[in-house]
Amino acid sequence: MTTRPLPQTGAAAPTPAAVPRRGGIGLGGAFTIAWRAIVGTPLRSVLTALGVIIGVAAVVALTAIGQGSTAGVTKNLESLGTNLLTVQSARGGGGGSLVRAGPRQTITVADAEALAGAFLDRVAGVAPSVNSNLQAKVGTNNAQVSVVGTWPAYETVRNSPVETGAYFTDADVSGRKRVAVIGHQTLLDLFGDGTEGSATPEQAIGQKVRLGSVTFTVSGVLPDKGNSGFGNANSQVLIPLSTYLQRFSRTNSAGGQPTVSTVYLQATDAKDLTGLQSDVTDLLMTRHDLTDPDSLDFQVQNQADSLASLNSITNTLTLFVGAIAGISLLVGGIGIMNIMLVSVTERTREIGVRKALGARPRDILTQFLVEASLLSIGGGVIGMLLGVALAFGGKALNITPVFSLPPMLIAFAFSALVGVFFGYYPAARAAKLDPVDSLRYE
Amino acid sequence: MTTPQVTPVVPAPSLAPAVVDLRGIRKVYAQGDVIFEALRGVDVQIMPGEMVALMGPSGSGKTTLMQIIGLLDRPSEGGYRLGGRDVTTLSENERAAARNTEIGFVFQAFHLLPRLNLVENVEVPLTYAGVPPRERRERAMQVLARVGLADKARNLPSQISGGQKQRVAVARALAGRPRLLLADEPTGNLDTRTSEEVMGLFSDLHAEGTTVVLVTHEDDIGAYAGRVIRVRDGLIESDRRQTPRRGLGGHP
Ligand SMILES: Nc1ncnc2c1ncn2[C@@H]1O[C@H](COP(=O)(O)OP(=O)(O)OP(=O)(O)O)[C@@H](O)[C@H]1O
Ligand SMILES: [Mg+2]
Repeated sequence: MTTRPLPQTGAAAPTPAAVPRRGGIGLGGAFTIAWRAIVGTPLRSVLTALGVIIGVAAVVALTAIGQGSTAGVTKNLESLGTNLLTVQSARGGGGGSLVRAGPRQTITVADAEALAGAFLDRVAGVAPSVNSNLQAKVGTNNAQVSVVGTWPAYETVRNSPVETGAYFTDADVSGRKRVAVIGHQTLLDLFGDGTEGSATPEQAIGQKVRLGSVTFTVSGVLPDKGNSGFGNANSQVLIPLSTYLQRFSRTNSAGGQPTVSTVYLQATDAKDLTGLQSDVTDLLMTRHDLTDPDSLDFQVQNQADSLASLNSITNTLTLFVGAIAGISLLVGGIGIMNIMLVSVTERTREIGVRKALGARPRDILTQFLVEASLLSIGGGVIGMLLGVALAFGGKALNITPVFSLPPMLIAFAFSALVGVFFGYYPAARAAKLDPVDSLRYE
Repeated sequence: MTTPQVTPVVPAPSLAPAVVDLRGIRKVYAQGDVIFEALRGVDVQIMPGEMVALMGPSGSGKTTLMQIIGLLDRPSEGGYRLGGRDVTTLSENERAAARNTEIGFVFQAFHLLPRLNLVENVEVPLTYAGVPPRERRERAMQVLARVGLADKARNLPSQISGGQKQRVAVARALAGRPRLLLADEPTGNLDTRTSEEVMGLFSDLHAEGTTVVLVTHEDDIGAYAGRVIRVRDGLIESDRRQTPRRGLGGHP
C-alpha cells in the first residue's frame, strides 16, 4: 500500500474555513479584552491613571473653589454698597511713612465736608470713616471691638442698616453725643454669653456701654452679617465722627487738622461714577495743592475698578490653574505611556499567542489603544468625582464651590485625548511585534 | 535499510490540491555579521487528511519549518501554496486572517492566556474571526466537550494539569475549524501517560479527516503519524510513510 484513502467523512470533518464575517475583533471585542486587563490588576491600573486622576481632580476642584470665592468676594464688594467711590490716603505715599506702619493719613475731615458740599446734587451720601480697636465693657462682660467714627450717611452709603433701634443723627454728630450702633457679635458678647441667641437687640437699646474709658448709650443694633467679608463686620461699633475725634483721636492729624482713613461717596447715578471719580480727584488736588496727577497723597477708587481688578486676578488664577492642569495631565499621560510600555513587554508572549491565533496588527493596536484610553478616561471620571468632593471640602474655608461645565468637560476631553496620544506609541509597538519573536520571548 | 512497514513515499495522483506545498524553502537568519541558514532548500507536499511527524535533531530547523508552514514566519526564499493558494505575497493582515481560519496551532508550552478561563481561551480565535458572542460560546463549548473538558470550562488555566492544558490548546486550535493542525512538540512538556492521551486525541482528529503536522523528538510519538519526515541541518533527510500506531486514549 502506497497511499491511504483520505478519510473525509465524520461529524467533525474540517470544512474549509469560512471567510471572516467581520474585520477582526472590532471595538467591542477590544473593549472586553482591555477591560479584563484593567480589572485584572486593579491597584496597578489605579496607579497608572493616578497622574490623570490628580490632574483632573485639581482642575475641577481649583476652578470650582476659585469661581466660588470670586462669586463670594463679588457679592461682598456689592454688599458694601453700590456706586461707591472710596477716597483713601495714597499707599506708601508721604514722607516718613517707612517708619510708621501704614500710610500717613492725608484726608482731613474738612476734605470730607468739602466733598459733601461740592457734589451735593451728584451724591446720595458722603461718609468719612476712621477706626481703631478698643475694649468694650458692660458690667463684667467685655469684648474687643472695632470702633468706627462716621456720619449717619454711613447707613445708606455702606448699605448697613440697623436691625433694631436707629443710627445717630446729624444733631448727634454736631453735639458730639456719646451714642453707639453695635454689631451683632458685640451685642452677644456684651449682653449675653457670646453665643447665638444669648441676647436680643431690644435688651441692648438704651443701655450703657464703655468704650475704653468713655461711656456710650446704645442707639441701634446691626443685623448678623455672617463672618465672611472684610474684617469682622459683626464686631463693629459705630459712633459719631466728631465724638470719635474728640475722645479717641490722638495722632491722626495733618497739620493740626483732624484726619480720617477713608471717605466713602455714593454716586446717585451709576453712569456718573467715573465722572465723579475724576471730579473728586480734581477737587482734592486743588485742596492739597497738588499739580502732578502721578504723585498724589491720596487715591480715589471706583467700585467698578475693584471688580475689574478682582476679575483680572481671577483670570490670572484661572490661567495658572489651566497651566498646572495641563502639566499634570501631561505627566499623567507620560505615566500611562510608561506603564503601557511595561505592559506591552510583559505581555509579549500573550501578543504572540494572539497573533498566532489570528489577531491582525490592527486588532492588537486597537486592544492596547482602548486599554490606554479606558485608563485615562477612567482616571478622568475618578478625578472629576474626587475634584467635586475636594471642592466641597472648600466649604471648610467658607467658600461655596461653583461648578461650571466647560472646565470639567475640557479636563475630561483632554484626559481622553491624553490616553489616545500617549497610548499610541506603546500600542503601535505591540502591533508591530513579530509573532515568532514574541512566542520565543522568555 | 528500512523496517518492512515503512515504504518510500510515492505521491498519489490526486485532484485535490496539497494542503501544504513548499518548494525550495530557504530561511536565513542574520545576526550581525553571522549568517545562519536554518533551512537550505526544502520541498514538502502534504495532502489533505495526512498525519505527518517532523523529526530530527535539535537545531535541525523543525520549528523554523513549522513557523513557515503556519504563516508565522516568512521564508527567505521559495514558494508556498496553502490549500492551492499562493501565500508568499499575502499582506500581514491577510496572513493573520489565514492563520485565524485555516491553521490551528498547538505549542509545546501550551500558551493558554492565564487571565482567561478555559472556554474563553478557546473562544480567542473565534473572536478574531468576528463570530458573534453567543455562537462563539456555543462552538467553544462544543470543542471543549470534544476534548473532554466541558466540565472545567470556567476554570482558569492555572487550575488544571499539563495534559488538560494541552487538550484545551488543541480545542482552541480546532475552534476555528482549520484545514491544518500544527503542533510543535505538543508532548514535550508532558509525561508518557498524558502524552499518549494527547496523541490519542490527535489520532482521532486525524481519523476524522483533519490534516495534522507535528514535530517530535520521540519515536513513540512519531509512530502515531502515517508519514515521518526527518530533517537534518536544514534539509530533508528522509520522507517515509508508515502504518500509524493507534492511540490508546483514542475513542474513549
Ligand atoms: N531568530 C533566530 N535568529 C538566529 N538563529 C535562529 C533564530 N531562530 C532559530 N535560529 C537557529 O536556527 C536553527 C534551527 O532552529 P529551530 O528552532 O528551527 O530548531 P529545531 O529543529 O526546532 O530545534 P529543537 O528540536 O531544539 O526545537 C537553530 O540553529 C537556531 O539556533
Ligand atoms: Mg523546535
